[in-house]
Order: sequence, then C-alpha cells, then structure tokens
Amino acid sequence: MKTFEEKWTAWLDEQLSGKELEEFEASLPDLDAARAEKRDAQKLGAFLKEQLAAQTLSNEEFFNHQLREKIAREREEDQPRTRSSWWTIPRLVWCGATALALFLFTTFVFLSQEQPGEQSEYLTQILNSRVDPGANPNATISIFESKTDNKVTVLWTEGLQSLPADYAAK
Amino acid sequence: METETTPAQADVSELDLVRRCQAGETDAFDQLVTRYRTRVFAMIYNMVHNEQDAWDLAQDSFVKAWKSIGRFKGKSSFYTWIYRIVMNVTIDWLRKRQVKAGGAEFDDAIQLKEIDPASKTVPKADPLPHQRMEHHEIRDRIDKAIAQLSPEHRAVILMKEIEEMQYHEIAETLGCSIGTVMSRLFYARKKLQNTLRDVYENV
Repeated sequence: MKTFEEKWTAWLDEQLSGKELEEFEASLPDLDAARAEKRDAQKLGAFLKEQLAAQTLSNEEFFNHQLREKIAREREEDQPRTRSSWWTIPRLVWCGATALALFLFTTFVFLSQEQPGEQSEYLTQILNSRVDPGANPNATISIFESKTDNKVTVLWTEGLQSLPADYAAK
Repeated sequence: METETTPAQADVSELDLVRRCQAGETDAFDQLVTRYRTRVFAMIYNMVHNEQDAWDLAQDSFVKAWKSIGRFKGKSSFYTWIYRIVMNVTIDWLRKRQVKAGGAEFDDAIQLKEIDPASKTVPKADPLPHQRMEHHEIRDRIDKAIAQLSPEHRAVILMKEIEEMQYHEIAETLGCSIGTVMSRLFYARKKLQNTLRDVYENV
C-alpha cells in the first residue's frame, strides 16, 4: 500500500498509469490546482538541472595526479604491514621452541664436558666418620666409583644414626 | 548516465576496467576516475557547496573505491556502486560537521499537514529584487535552499533532478527502500518549491 507521498511523487514523475492513475486523480480534491502544482514541481526540476549541472571540475589532470599519489602512498603504507606479518603466532611458537631446545642442548654439552670437581668436604667428613666407632658403632659405608671416568661416585650408607650438625662446618 | 570518455576509452568496457583494477592495475583505475570525476565532483559540490571540500571528498571517495574495488561483484552497475561510496562519504561528512556545529542546521520540520496536495500554486507576492538576477546570485539562493535540507533529502533530489536516476537506482545507492526515496523526494521538492519559487518563476 503506497502512502500519499509516494503516489504524489509517482504522479509528478509520470510513473502512474491506468487504474492507479485514475484512482489517484479522483482522490484529489482539486485536480486543476494539483496539476498546476505538478507543473510547478517540474519547472523546479528543470531549473535545478539547468543551474546545477554546469558545475565543472577545474584541474582535472591534477585531480588524477593527486589521486595516483594518494593510492601509491596507501600501497607503501600497506607494504611494512605485510612484511611484519611474517611473525605469525605459529612461527613465533616454533622459533621459541627451537631456541629453547638449542639452549638445553648447549647446556647439556657444556656441563658434560666439565671436569669433575674436587671431592667435596662434606663427603670427606662422612668417610672420616666411619673411623669413629664411638659415634656410629654399626655404620657401614660403601663407595662405588666408575672406573671408566671418575665422574660418578655412589655412596652407600647403612646404620648411620645421624650426621653431626657441625660436620659441614669442620 | 553520461561519462567523460574519449572514443578510445569508450571501447574499453567498464567491467574490463574493473577487473583490471581488481588485479591491481592503477592505470585502469585512472581511466575509471577520468570517466566519473566530473560528475562525482559536481554531485558532491552540490551537496556541500564548497569547492575545496568537494575536491577533498571526491578524492576520499575514489581512494575508498580503490581500496574496496576487490569487493565489487558486478551485481549493480559501477556508477551505482561508486555513487554509493560518494554518498556515504559525503553524508557522513555533513553529519559530522553538523554535530561539530551543534546540530539543528537542517530544517526538515515540514509536515504533511502543512501541505495541501491540491494547493493553489501561486508565486509569492513578495516583489522580486531584480528582474534579472546574476547567475551567482541565483546559485547562491539555490545553495542556501539546498543547505536547509538534510543530507539524505539533498542526495535524493540531486540524484533525481540532476543525475536523472531512477527510483530503484537511488534506493540502491542510498541503501533504502524505493518508498523512502519517493517520500524523501516529496518533502525535498515541497521544501525547495516553497523556498525557490520566486526565483524559478521569474528566471
């Protein structure tokens, strides 16, 4: 269902025909006045077209030139964004994991090549304690050492009641 | 719709140019700009009434068109598509300017009850200041009258009367229904008839 405004506009622009046109014109209280109004609106349309269509663009070539420059700038601004997008999240994760694995491998190699240090003072104190039957009468202490490289020492203690708290300080 | 083309350019179909633009060819876009720059500029100028603003808005519209030309599917004609961008840019600019100015720049207060569909159309009784107005004076009157319309009403009346676009093309450009276009046209015409009658009746 068209509103009055829609019908009026369609009538003005000669878009109504047949029964619709007849019904609309019959609904107008003063058809002659309405027709005068229609001519007036058409006159307005012609007047606007005559007066406003004359507007021209000066410096047409400069318009295109400026536009080309703007588009070129836009493209340049887009380029760095494309390059920085190399660091995607999967790539970041992969690079992080690789760096971590490399670090662990290097640390392991470095430590495995390190010479065994001197026997600790603490171990010396434990070994000495077995010669003191007064402190630990039933204590047995076994030491296993690797013969291939002197890097592994296993100390097996049994029956040791306690270690004096001041051993480490001796 | 008439376009600004040389005979050689006219041989190249618009769709071909659009496809080349979509492939990133700026030369093809340059040709499209040449075809539409004058009409686009004139349309915007009639909306904003300032040459520098019209120039800048036309530039912005074409840059926007370049950026989004990849999304043009060819379902509508290219000029409808470019006009949609032009209208969005211009109406948005006018609205922002209205907000900055504190609103109430446009007078859409005309009501249906104020309009007698069969009213007598008699030129205003006010005496005309001159028998023949200078062109710039007429233009000034028109600009002031159009400036009283809302951006949407301006767009509709200019597309209909100057560009001679069909209702459905205007509706497609503005993203509204045909009924809305016709309704806006009704009010815009009434408003301009009331404001400019003494001018166009006597030119």
